[in-house]
Amino acid sequence: MEAHAAQAKPRPRGWRHALESRRVLAPALIAPAVVFIALVVGVPLGWAIYLSLTDAIGGSLTGDWVGFHNFTSAWEDDNFRRALRNTLIFTFASQVLVVTGAAILSAFLVRDFRGKWIVRFLVILPWAAPVVLSTIAWLWIFDSLYSVANWTLAKLHLDNALVWVLDTVGLEEGAQVPLQWLGRPNMALVAVTIVHAWRILPFAVVIFIAGRASIPNEVEDAAKIDGATGIKKLLHVDIPLQAPIALVAVLFGIVFTAGDFAVVYILTRGGPFNASHVLPTWAYAIGIDGGALGEGAAISLYLFPLLVAVSVAMLFFARRVQVS
Amino acid sequence: MTKRQTFFTYLVVGPFAIVLAFPFYFALVTMFKTDLDLANAQHSPFLYNDLEGNFHWDFWNYATTGEVTFLFTDTNFPTWIVNTVLVAAAVVGITLLLALPAGYALARLAGGWGQSAGVAIFLVYLLPPTLLFLPLSRLITNLDLKDSLWSLILVYPSFTIPFATWLLMGFFKTIPHELEEAALVDGCSRLSALVRIIFPVSLPGILTVVIFAFSLCVNEFIYAFTFVSSSEQRTISAGIPNDLIRGDVFYWQSLMAATVIPAIPLALLYNAFLDRFIKGFTGGAFR
Amino acid sequence: MTDTADELVSPSSALTREDLLKRGAAAAFAVGMFGGLSEKAFGFAGPHRYTHRQLAGELRIMTWAHFVPAYDQWLDNVYVKQWGEQNDVDVKVDHINNAFLYSTGASQVAAQSGHDLFWFISPPSTFQRQAIPVTDIVQEVSRKLGRMAKVARKSTYNPRTKQFYGFPDDYAPDPVHYRKSFIEEVGGSLRTWEDVRRAAPKLKAIGHPMGLGMSNEIDSNMLLTSLLYCYGGFIQNEENKIVIGQGKNRTGAIEALQLMRDIFRNGMTDEVFAWTAASNNQAFVAGRLSVALNAISITRTAENSGNTALSDDTWLASIPRGPVMRMGNEHVMGVYLIWKFAQNKENAKKFLVDTMLGYREHFIRSQYYNFPAWTGAIQGGFKTIRQMTAQDTHKPKGKYTILTTIAEKYTTNPGFPGNTTPVMDEIFNTYLIPQMFAEVAQGKSTPAEAVRAFDRKAQAIYRKWRNRGLV
Repeated sequence: MEAHAAQAKPRPRGWRHALESRRVLAPALIAPAVVFIALVVGVPLGWAIYLSLTDAIGGSLTGDWVGFHNFTSAWEDDNFRRALRNTLIFTFASQVLVVTGAAILSAFLVRDFRGKWIVRFLVILPWAAPVVLSTIAWLWIFDSLYSVANWTLAKLHLDNALVWVLDTVGLEEGAQVPLQWLGRPNMALVAVTIVHAWRILPFAVVIFIAGRASIPNEVEDAAKIDGATGIKKLLHVDIPLQAPIALVAVLFGIVFTAGDFAVVYILTRGGPFNASHVLPTWAYAIGIDGGALGEGAAISLYLFPLLVAVSVAMLFFARRVQVS
Repeated sequence: MTKRQTFFTYLVVGPFAIVLAFPFYFALVTMFKTDLDLANAQHSPFLYNDLEGNFHWDFWNYATTGEVTFLFTDTNFPTWIVNTVLVAAAVVGITLLLALPAGYALARLAGGWGQSAGVAIFLVYLLPPTLLFLPLSRLITNLDLKDSLWSLILVYPSFTIPFATWLLMGFFKTIPHELEEAALVDGCSRLSALVRIIFPVSLPGILTVVIFAFSLCVNEFIYAFTFVSSSEQRTISAGIPNDLIRGDVFYWQSLMAATVIPAIPLALLYNAFLDRFIKGFTGGAFR
Repeated sequence: MTDTADELVSPSSALTREDLLKRGAAAAFAVGMFGGLSEKAFGFAGPHRYTHRQLAGELRIMTWAHFVPAYDQWLDNVYVKQWGEQNDVDVKVDHINNAFLYSTGASQVAAQSGHDLFWFISPPSTFQRQAIPVTDIVQEVSRKLGRMAKVARKSTYNPRTKQFYGFPDDYAPDPVHYRKSFIEEVGGSLRTWEDVRRAAPKLKAIGHPMGLGMSNEIDSNMLLTSLLYCYGGFIQNEENKIVIGQGKNRTGAIEALQLMRDIFRNGMTDEVFAWTAASNNQAFVAGRLSVALNAISITRTAENSGNTALSDDTWLASIPRGPVMRMGNEHVMGVYLIWKFAQNKENAKKFLVDTMLGYREHFIRSQYYNFPAWTGAIQGGFKTIRQMTAQDTHKPKGKYTILTTIAEKYTTNPGFPGNTTPVMDEIFNTYLIPQMFAEVAQGKSTPAEAVRAFDRKAQAIYRKWRNRGLV
């Protein structure tokens, strides 16, 4: 023991010594980030919460106290309820598309084949482009007169068929050719979902590939030895092992989609007849364009507890699955 | 891979790649279209047509680079790109500076409450900018940063740091304890162990954060638009909707060009680092 | 063929017919770029000179990116420079897309700092508490030019506080654009809304339907609100109370809803629900639509792009008459606010007064888009304006004179017969009116239900603003 102590460097003194202790070092390392966030986010957040409890208007940061009135009156507006419903629909529908697509695509992208680099490049493009710009491109793709989607459908003689299907299924009764992607309430939902899924898919693919890459080879070998192939392997080996990573992908997708403002705002401005609003865009319409700032703040805040609950649930669940 | 496997591979990835990249291909075609060609709804959107709608093999005579060069010569597009890159780079730097130590501390040093604290920090990311941009305007003005890119450099880390901290926290947990223990036994202080041993090993994690934070900055729109009013100081997400859409009129060809031009280098960049990125994410995400 | 459009764009740029649209766009971007205040942006002698002189003051103006790019170019590079020189003030003008005027205004208010003068595209009554009253300069201008136009008065005067909270700058009448050849082909007429109802299916049959929008955008808002006036379905009364759910207003609104449903079902397509503010322009200029309601940016775009086949066939008309009246809205009601926190209030006031006194030039430079808020700003009032518009050389000759009639008789403010209150502001900006019409047209709601739902919402909004003391 003495020899060991003699060989070790003498203990540093003063603040260096203090920093050796976990109890001091940990907070010291975390502090800058926390302080920064507290100042830049905490203060505005507090203010925003305060605003939601007042009747502030215009851009004014003060108002008269109204308690929870903004929250209750928001709930009574059916445009708000529809916005809430749409937020959930977009998030759920786009994530279903994303997870399915990513699971399939990632299975093949881990293989080696000629042109893999190019394929990866093409797959990444939607994620690389800034969301505002790519959404404007989609606005042109779905344009009421010049839509390339409709032009292509027409050339393939599929446009009437599509409208007939939509009409019969009841999704869009009375729809006409050319199909107005942004002009019929349900088609607008479809259009926004498509753009969300398109944008997030590359990102999810990457996460899934990471997940597959992390499955140790021993597991693959063990599965082979056990004779598990095909569907059995899929159900008992692949999916359980990838579940945690899939959950993370879904979580990110949910966060990106539910909190999104740009896609809906640029594509439909909440239309047609306010049928495609989501909470962020409706909050903006009421709070900024409509001038009722307190209410806008309240509407924005509705989403937050929801996201928190979902995030916390998924993160802890993912951890539990992983640990087991 | 067997021939059958290769065939199936192409069968699956082909359509995916086409669908995902299609809007960019379409934008690429549109940006060279002449006004009269574009304005005619009967013309094929994929080809360059003459006034009657006929396609010619010397199609370059019926297309124009005018709209694209216009983007570079008559708008602030180059400036916007530079601004965007500068802001993103600065923000990435600040993010790493603050999130690396924090992530490490939460992973290693914070014990039980580390995990919960990490999640709590992540939750900050969920706050919507449409809610915060007004009080933040006040903050920005009080700091006299209004109309300057520094306002964005100050505010963007508020959502990149939570994300990055949580990510790095998970990543650091995958680094075996033995590495640091060895360094400590050798007489290193904790701090120097952190800097000299851990950070180099965590390069994939750092890369992950860089790509993420960069991407978040480039995509951000609301703060970029409201904090900076003068066209010269804007980033691309703010400058393009403002200057290329004048009320009634959309300058579609230039808008398409503005979409394609930043996307391609970014996609090349991400693709190049994809393998490293995957390692970083695997480490970070779920351990 | 040189025409007014050519003369108004910078003479130094060599304009050929086919390049005109590109040049117009170039001017737009130039302005968008120059609108950024940096002196580096100015490529010619301008503020550079100022930096070497002691200036008495500064003035910062925020305004929109005008639909007519040539106007912005003139405003920034000629008018504002001249005024600045004459008054020893360094003036900087910023332009932003009109969709973002409210959010930028809100952020300036939140920050309690920003520009001195802020222009809004519609009466910004929600911001009135953040601005200083301008009754003094309004009176000064009225003394010299006579009373301001009624639409301007109703848009900027608060009867409760008895003050003018904003200075009206300009308004744009909202004519009906139509393709004469198509209307003649079907033997239709646009004199009354019944005529419109009859003509719609015929026009659709020849492949050129009408374009009466029911989307979340400004053109639809203006059109549908005007339709409500014509049928007597007023949302507010003179005292600014919500009355659409009662009596004659209710029946009028129901009739108007039925009319639009009819027109849509028989004479229009789904596209009218999917529009942005630019869509009806695009569709009309592409040759598809036969009728559209819009400010003159449609005709000017067609003219400027050299599309004479189209622009010669495009005529303007007043809004059709309804059973109760013939009345339309302003398409744009430009109002300047002087923020309470503005640092150059005196310069701002002088700028506003001087600009209005010399508004004739603005009227011309905007290609007759900006009608002055004080008709007397143009000597001889509407009579002179009529003569001026008659001189426009685009075919068909004299087509712009109808603008004068519309401006004189058939233009009012949203909220007629009341004022443009914050209640109307919120209703407008959350697109409740297009929502009501579109839901009925697409069969999602009956007219009676839609009116009831709208009334309920409007009443709730009214109570909210009343509690704040602003209506």
